[in-house]
Amino acid sequence: MARAAVFFALLASLPSFNLAHWVLNLLVFTLMYAVMSSAWNLLGGFTGYPSLGHAAFFGVGAYAVALWFKHHAITSGYEPFVVLPMIGLFAAVLGIPIAAIAMRTRFDVFAIVTITLLFVAQTLAFNLRGLTGGAQGISITVAPFSPAMFERPFYYVLLALLGLAMGITFLTMRSKLGLSLAAVRADEDKARGIGVRVTGVKLLVFAVSVGLTAMVGAVWAYYESFIYPQFAIDPLITIAIVLMTFLGGRGTLWGPVLGAGILEGAQQLFAYWLGGSQVYLIAYAAVFLVIMLLLPRGILPTIQDRIRRRRRRGTVNAAAVPPALPLAEVTVGGGAA
Amino acid sequence: MSVCKRLWPRLLAGAAGVLALAVTGCAAAGAGGGGAGAGSGPLVIGASVSLTGDFADSGQAVERGYQLWADTVNAHGGLLGHKVQIKIVDDLSSPSQVISNYETLISQAHVSLVFGPFSSLLTVPASQVAKRYGYAFLEPAGGGPSVFAQKLPNLFFVQPAASVQSGDVFANWVLSLPPAQRPKTAAYAELDDPFSAPIAESIRAKFEAAGIKTVFKQVYPAETQDLSPVMAGVAAARPDVLVGGTQNQDAYAQVKALVQLKISPKFVYLSNGANSPQQFPEKVGIGNTAGIMSSADWFPGSTATGSAAFTAAYIKKYGGTAQQIDPSSAEAFACGQLLQEVAQKTGKIDNATIVKTLHSGTWPTLLGTLSWNANGQPNGQFSLVQWQHGTLIPVYPAGISRAAPMYPKPGWGG
Amino acid sequence: MHSLIQGVILGVLTGGVYALMASGQTLIFGVMKVLNLAQGAMVILSAYLAYQLHSSFGIDPFAAIPITTAGMFLLGVTVEVLFLRPLRREDRAELSLLVTFAIALLLEGVMSLVWKTNYRSIDTSYANGSWTVFGYQITLVRLWAFLMSAGALGLLYLLLNKTRFGRAVRATVQNPESARLLGVESTRVSAFGFGLGAATAAAAGSVYGLLYAFYPGSHYDLISLLLSIIILGGLGSIGGAIIGALVVATSSAIVASTVSAAWSPMAFFAVLIVVLLVRPRGLFGTAARGAI
Repeated sequence: MARAAVFFALLASLPSFNLAHWVLNLLVFTLMYAVMSSAWNLLGGFTGYPSLGHAAFFGVGAYAVALWFKHHAITSGYEPFVVLPMIGLFAAVLGIPIAAIAMRTRFDVFAIVTITLLFVAQTLAFNLRGLTGGAQGISITVAPFSPAMFERPFYYVLLALLGLAMGITFLTMRSKLGLSLAAVRADEDKARGIGVRVTGVKLLVFAVSVGLTAMVGAVWAYYESFIYPQFAIDPLITIAIVLMTFLGGRGTLWGPVLGAGILEGAQQLFAYWLGGSQVYLIAYAAVFLVIMLLLPRGILPTIQDRIRRRRRRGTVNAAAVPPALPLAEVTVGGGAA
Repeated sequence: MSVCKRLWPRLLAGAAGVLALAVTGCAAAGAGGGGAGAGSGPLVIGASVSLTGDFADSGQAVERGYQLWADTVNAHGGLLGHKVQIKIVDDLSSPSQVISNYETLISQAHVSLVFGPFSSLLTVPASQVAKRYGYAFLEPAGGGPSVFAQKLPNLFFVQPAASVQSGDVFANWVLSLPPAQRPKTAAYAELDDPFSAPIAESIRAKFEAAGIKTVFKQVYPAETQDLSPVMAGVAAARPDVLVGGTQNQDAYAQVKALVQLKISPKFVYLSNGANSPQQFPEKVGIGNTAGIMSSADWFPGSTATGSAAFTAAYIKKYGGTAQQIDPSSAEAFACGQLLQEVAQKTGKIDNATIVKTLHSGTWPTLLGTLSWNANGQPNGQFSLVQWQHGTLIPVYPAGISRAAPMYPKPGWGG
Repeated sequence: MHSLIQGVILGVLTGGVYALMASGQTLIFGVMKVLNLAQGAMVILSAYLAYQLHSSFGIDPFAAIPITTAGMFLLGVTVEVLFLRPLRREDRAELSLLVTFAIALLLEGVMSLVWKTNYRSIDTSYANGSWTVFGYQITLVRLWAFLMSAGALGLLYLLLNKTRFGRAVRATVQNPESARLLGVESTRVSAFGFGLGAATAAAAGSVYGLLYAFYPGSHYDLISLLLSIIILGGLGSIGGAIIGALVVATSSAIVASTVSAAWSPMAFFAVLIVVLLVRPRGLFGTAARGAI
């Protein structure tokens, strides 16, 4: 798709413009959240299971990479990136039994179960001292990249992960899997009744979603070079990605990326310029509320709706025929494609 | 699909936005600052401090310390003729934000020097950023083992000793007593965080080597609100000495629980919380403080270099009494003192000079005389302080003590 | 054995206070099908209010309860009218979670602004008092807090079962459509229901500061605890919330007393997982949305 190609080509070329380090740093964090939001979108947006515990798998990825290199000497600065697919797979496999239990519940209860899961993971990270180092945290070899180019490997790897996440989303939207997910989101029992393999589909989406999230966690751990349990498994991470997806538009391809772009930049810059004034949290909450109340479906779907309505009004003779109502946003491909 | 088409303008707008950002970034790109050059422009020192979030209390105390030092040194003509400006930004007590903050301070605001944040948790990632750009990293509050394990040549922990050794002075004092007067049994109640438990463990190692039996030990998680079960276990073991590896809140909770259980060990040491001149008596009742010991690097009435002037200036600027000054402010102030001393000794104040100079010799500050090993770990020891008659005073080692240590501890209520 | 029973005593006393907080939360869910993620923040806000009343005017936290309860009731009604009512019905399910969380953040921000972020606790003269009964220690403040919570829950029971408003609330919980058909004004019930939930948070919050040190960020720990309790008890069931609170508090206290404080959070997680595996709707829940 031309649009996606331009987007990725543009992003890929950015580091070569000799951007200031703080800009690249900001882009690295923005990409992290863009990948995680897209991954969450698969589960929360397309399937209708809003997980509030994704940060637990972010932590799984972070600890996985730290523990792997505790027992295997690191040979090159790129090795942590090479083990990423393995970590993603590990998290996905770990996610399956968890999904099997958690997805026996729906919606509100599912949200709570996933929050609980998050705190269980955090408690385990603190208590399994022999494994995770507990409250003392655990270190990862500092990345040996030169200071001038430090952010670039992280940037490119995250860009690749974003491509992967969006590619998966795109294929899902276009395929039978996407139809199944939409059916599950609309009415799970009826979907099961008409023969959709509901359980299999739910488990698959959960596994993919958490696998991607874990890979981002591993990259983050390498970037920070030291992780502590309360930061690796942090409810604020989940809240951020949920908010970004909601802002951009659930169930769309570009929505989460847009949300991440707007919010992560705004959040870091707000913190830098406004932080000490204690107004930061209030401003953040206010933005949150405004988005929920004014744009409940997110930016992209609202804009699409408005354009669709304008187009219809233009082509219909108002006096003769009443304007057709916009179709409900349940069809596959309702997102930008 | 036709819906795709009008996404184009949006995307182009987005791309244009990113490009604009990139271009401004280009303009601002360039090598980070190295040090104050010739000329009389202000010397800008950047610091990311936790002004909000979990570490906000201490972070704000650190901010006050940095700012007070800047005001003090400017009143005396500045540093090498340059007026000092401290640029402080908030890291929300978050390690991701602290990285972004130092990146921005160094590569966008082009500060000449940096000071460290609050807490080892934030110091570790921040010090890596400073190292990448060749900045000296004087930090007042990151003394956990993970900080020194990084083996950074540019880092200096501005306190008398590594955090996990802050309790060793208590162990040293106990072991200096004649064997008949030493405690025979010990209980350990430790908070699970990078400092508190290790401090207690360091004491335990010394005690066990000297034959003091461990009759109870428990590590409790950070969010534990209710320490009654843990302290009930301590009480049941009837120890001669209680070693508490604590932060502030749980120190108060430990004492309150012991009072409620009506158990008063002969020796009580709390690594933190009991060294809070204002809060401790407020929280546990002034009658209950008698005899409790803790460690401190700075305390009101200290006679170390610059302490009296610091105290007077602090009260003048921020009000209150000497008892209300958080030691984090003193530690932050000491970072500035070190810069002054380097400038005085070498006539220069750039990052390379600071790193080279501070690695040798000893440096007097209001925390005592400081010196470091190659990894930035300080070589000194903390002071043992004790509550006597409602005041916190140093009792050991002999060089700085203002009264003999009181033992055994009186019962609760004074 | 001694520590086991000590743990049970502590658990029951603590559980009473949690039961009060959780009952408000489950009531809100029952009436509006909204999970109030701001319940924890409301408890902490009341704790701050009680703290302020105590330090500025010397009012004892127990005596402050009527004041804080009235204040938080008004706050709850305001929140419902301003932020929850405007949500369209279709969106309410998904967005209420996030809206209430945003409100929690907003409250946290306001509290940080007004009271700063250092820990506070309410220190009264009787704070350290305790009785020793048959060798078991009973802390006085916990006992009074438990009795107060039991009293408040009793009042709640009377309100829901003996007043017209209470009947309207129960009707709405059981079947919103029929209730509306019979003339129950659902908007008023929603607003007052939310206010009532906030009021229970207030009563519990006033004494929370006596038991625990708190700061604006304490609401995170609290909300995860409350959510687990109401899931365990069954969404919408107040009796379930009470039982759930006692189970959770007791199991945590027992593990803390007999094994180690580090593992006590896991105790109730384990209970929760087991219950969800066996009975996803919770102990007393109806087949409400979200449960199977």
